[in-house]
Amino acid sequence: MQLSFKIILILVISIPVLLLLRRWARNFFTKKYAPHYGMLAGKLVFYTGLTILVLTIMGQLGLSLAPLLGAAGIVGIALGFASQTSVSNIISGLFLIAEQPFKVDDIITVNNTTGVVISIDVLSAKLRTFDNQFVRIPNETLIKTEVRNLTRFPIRRFNAKVSVAYKEDISRVKEILMDVADKNEHALSEPTPIILFDAFGTSSIDLLFLVWAPVDEFLKLRNTIQEEIKARFDKEGIEIPFPHVSLYSGAATKAIPIEIADTKGENTDLKTSRE
Amino acid sequence: MNIEKWGSFSLSSGEETDFYILGDLRLWLKHKDEEIWIGHRYEEHGDGERNTGNISETPPKDLEWARWAPKEPTDSVKLMPVFPDLPLVINSEFPLRVNPGGSIQIFTRIPVWVRISIGKKDTVLTELPTVKLSRTWFGTPIEGELCYWAITKARRSLSNVERKPYLVSCPIQITNKTEVDLDFEKFCFRVERLKVFLYAEELWSDETRIVYHGEEQHSDISMSGRLPKGMENARLISPPRKPVQRSLATRTFKKIFDESFLFGK
Repeated sequence: MQLSFKIILILVISIPVLLLLRRWARNFFTKKYAPHYGMLAGKLVFYTGLTILVLTIMGQLGLSLAPLLGAAGIVGIALGFASQTSVSNIISGLFLIAEQPFKVDDIITVNNTTGVVISIDVLSAKLRTFDNQFVRIPNETLIKTEVRNLTRFPIRRFNAKVSVAYKEDISRVKEILMDVADKNEHALSEPTPIILFDAFGTSSIDLLFLVWAPVDEFLKLRNTIQEEIKARFDKEGIEIPFPHVSLYSGAATKAIPIEIADTKGENTDLKTSRE
Repeated sequence: MNIEKWGSFSLSSGEETDFYILGDLRLWLKHKDEEIWIGHRYEEHGDGERNTGNISETPPKDLEWARWAPKEPTDSVKLMPVFPDLPLVINSEFPLRVNPGGSIQIFTRIPVWVRISIGKKDTVLTELPTVKLSRTWFGTPIEGELCYWAITKARRSLSNVERKPYLVSCPIQITNKTEVDLDFEKFCFRVERLKVFLYAEELWSDETRIVYHGEEQHSDISMSGRLPKGMENARLISPPRKPVQRSLATRTFKKIFDESFLFGK
């Protein structure tokens, strides 16, 4: 009776203390460093405290750790076979924490899912997608597949593909594009925006317009600069061509002969003005 | 009206507005229903020349106002010049070379921000740049810092230069302690630790001394805390944004990007 009371007392006192300590560690490290370290510190405090608590209760019950550890070998093998996936996820989680390919609050893309990392837990990482869905990705998947961290570095480049008609003066187009970048409030002056001649397209000359922005303004840059390019091209009379097809009748320099058959039976041959 | 004197102003009440021009900034203030109303616009000019005539003092109908309800009712606001909230990458209009062991003094002029505050404790309502500067990255793609981008003439003397009330003149002493020329094309100017002084009705900052130790080394930067010799009786009007440090060792002249990296698709 006295033992039961003692154990209940330990649990009643230590569990709230443990939870408080976890919250304090999480808040302290989040404020001082980053949410990622807050999460790690919280987990470290909680699991360490939980281990100590379990060992203390076992001590109270008079259970020795040595036979348990002996049994753990046999049980471990059995459990290992039974819970291969879980163990793999746990070990992958440790690798993720050590390697740190991403942190809490980073934006990552895994397979076709892009979202903000909410937490990295023992078995999985949790993401919040931009349309506010919750996505759980097993740690093993994160280790095995390509993970793209969109916010790891402080600046990002937006690659805009700009197509103009063949008749346009490319140097003038370049001047206009540089002016658009100069006036865009999210574009950085350095690294300097660059315009690359990409290809002679089927209907247009294709240019690549490479502009840098701070990583947290990348989406704003992407949204604004394309609108601004369109508006400026309209103002300056620069044509953004639609795909079109030219038909030739054997020779590019000769017009196509056209024949129109009228319904009254009077055939009239029409030829283009060149002939 | 142009801001000719910095300090406290009593605002007009009701629908009447007070209008100020500083650089590209058009600022309207009014005191209405025990609130401070602030509206602003920036003049857009494509040719680099500022429009000084035909400016309407009446606020545009579509002007967006920001309203503040002060803790204690007041119709007085304080307008003070402060340095921008980020360092500036200063580009010399024409590159200047400092020979090994050489030391030069240059002057650069930077557009100030207007800090609008109220009350005895100078509670800051807002800060507005007098000229909108574009931003740039100083560092590598992996690490660095966000700065404003400014093109200046890096003058050796400010005599015969037109006075502009929205520009603060900054004296900078650059010493080259290497065996090679210092090609001074652009450098990162850490203005957050500079004070603003009023001297002969013009804005001045304390002197910055930069000692260059090579491209791969950090430069030593120190702020003297006072104007150059011969400029006595200057009045301190704005303290620095960040605490003054006796000296800083930081990247100042380092070139940033490898071109092959930039051109990669």
